[in-house]
Amino acid sequence: MSTSVAMQKNHKTHSRWFRWRFHLSGLLILIPVVLTPFYIELMSLFGGANGLGERVVGTQQVGPWTITLAEQFERGPKLDGPAGYMKTFNGALCQECAEQVKAVYMRLGKPRSLRTAGVIGFGSPYHMTFSMPVPENSASDADLWLTLEGWDGALHHAQWSLAEASPATVQFLQQLQEK
Amino acid sequence: MNPNIEAKAPRKRTQWWFLLHSWLAMPIWLFLFFVCLTGTIATVSQEIIWLFDSSVRANPPADAGKMLSFDEVIEVIERDAPGAYVEKITRPVKSQFALTAEISYPDSTSENVFINPYTGEIQGRAASGFNFRQFVRAIHGWLLIPFNTGFTRYSLGWYMVSILGIPLLLSLITGLVVYKKFWRGFLQPRLRFNRGARVFWGDFHRLAGIWSIPFIFIISVTSIWFLIQGLLFEAGVPFNGVSQAPVYVARDEIPTSEQGRPPLLSADQAIAQVNALYDNVEAQVLHLPSTAFGHYRILGRSQAFPLVHESFLVNPYSGAIDEAMRVTDQPGLMLTRLSMRALHTGDFVGLTLKLVYFLFGVLLTMMVFSGMRIWTTRTFKSTKAAIRQKTARANLAGDPT
Repeated sequence: MSTSVAMQKNHKTHSRWFRWRFHLSGLLILIPVVLTPFYIELMSLFGGANGLGERVVGTQQVGPWTITLAEQFERGPKLDGPAGYMKTFNGALCQECAEQVKAVYMRLGKPRSLRTAGVIGFGSPYHMTFSMPVPENSASDADLWLTLEGWDGALHHAQWSLAEASPATVQFLQQLQEK
Repeated sequence: MNPNIEAKAPRKRTQWWFLLHSWLAMPIWLFLFFVCLTGTIATVSQEIIWLFDSSVRANPPADAGKMLSFDEVIEVIERDAPGAYVEKITRPVKSQFALTAEISYPDSTSENVFINPYTGEIQGRAASGFNFRQFVRAIHGWLLIPFNTGFTRYSLGWYMVSILGIPLLLSLITGLVVYKKFWRGFLQPRLRFNRGARVFWGDFHRLAGIWSIPFIFIISVTSIWFLIQGLLFEAGVPFNGVSQAPVYVARDEIPTSEQGRPPLLSADQAIAQVNALYDNVEAQVLHLPSTAFGHYRILGRSQAFPLVHESFLVNPYSGAIDEAMRVTDQPGLMLTRLSMRALHTGDFVGLTLKLVYFLFGVLLTMMVFSGMRIWTTRTFKSTKAAIRQKTARANLAGDPT
């Protein structure tokens, strides 16, 4: 008798499992539910609601102008397909100098000329985006060089050590080069 | 010898088609249901915002005259927030909506500003970044899973969703195979309410199915294209043009100036340049130059082939049109990409088409649900029966006596 009860019970759980397993794909709905706060955070970061970026590096006086630099994310560079590793910084010019500065360029290491000044900052002068390539063999004690070009042709440089600008990138390079 | 055998063979085949149809969506039905539901909401997400937020409506005054030009929009913003930088202005396809301008402020924040297209009144603002429309799209399109996480360049969710196009298309095909003479359903629609849930959902599933043939076909094929598009992107196949090289204004074409930024062409002048050279271009979206080497980018929906946008790059210093991408200039892959997207979302005609898409979206979502209902009450039994029959036949055939 006890065995038949056990069998019945076993049969019950089996059939419940049999029915419910076809609704299991609904568990995938948990993915967007769990990710919603992260998505909101990410969007406000892109929209500038949280300021210039996840981590503000600092503000420098560059010739007659001032520029503020921030890391988009407090993370190492990201592999972007054939383009290699890319690191995103954001920059903001002061309101008075926005009309004076023609372009801002950024590169890792000292540029030899304007032609090699690096990637150009895109977008609003108050929220320029720099997508900077980080070669795998970059020295982790390199400097981040910004070149500001005025509409009058004047050139001014600003520089931050990579350790100041992005500790996460330094860590990333050290780990990459240890391997 | 036995006449029954010949008659039974096609029935058996239909039975297996039927089982295939029944099993295609069942193991994933709830996920498919979710994707269909969010997709249906996404089609009308802009209209939902319109219902709840009066600031995004066009609100024409009694003496509604001409709509604001792009230059006038920029003036409105300059008056409201001196020094603010306008990145993009969108004139909606649908006349019910306000103009939207994306503005960046000196404190590095940015906003979408909704402007009355007739009076120039700033009706509302929303922090750029998170908004309901993008949120629903992101849930539907990639389950909010971030892009380029290192594993794939597109979001992993993109693939999880778009792969559903395959069972959807197969469900349509197998459904039409097993629904004998389905065209009769158009002439003699049958929806029985008084015969219990199983009969009702069965009738509903068939009736909604035949009326949705074109819609399901469009949605499933475009979804499969999204899957292919993702895979092509992973493989590094370019989409954006023949050359892939972005077009910039040459350094020696840019005037130097001791007094800061040299005078640029105004937005309206740039659009006038395009209209002077090309017929039938109605500027809907205007991107302002994003660097000193950038162009005005003007987008307008093609009159001849409304599934795609045509784009023009106007040199802000000389007024020259440095790139014109009319329908015929688009490379095939880009044309496919744009058309597939427009077909999937239904946003290329106006409100009417959106509502049609919404209606069929609701039907499709309910078909997934009704399919599950039918399955739980019927397919389970018939699968068991079919397997039992097959085993019995096999036993019979294997039996030498």
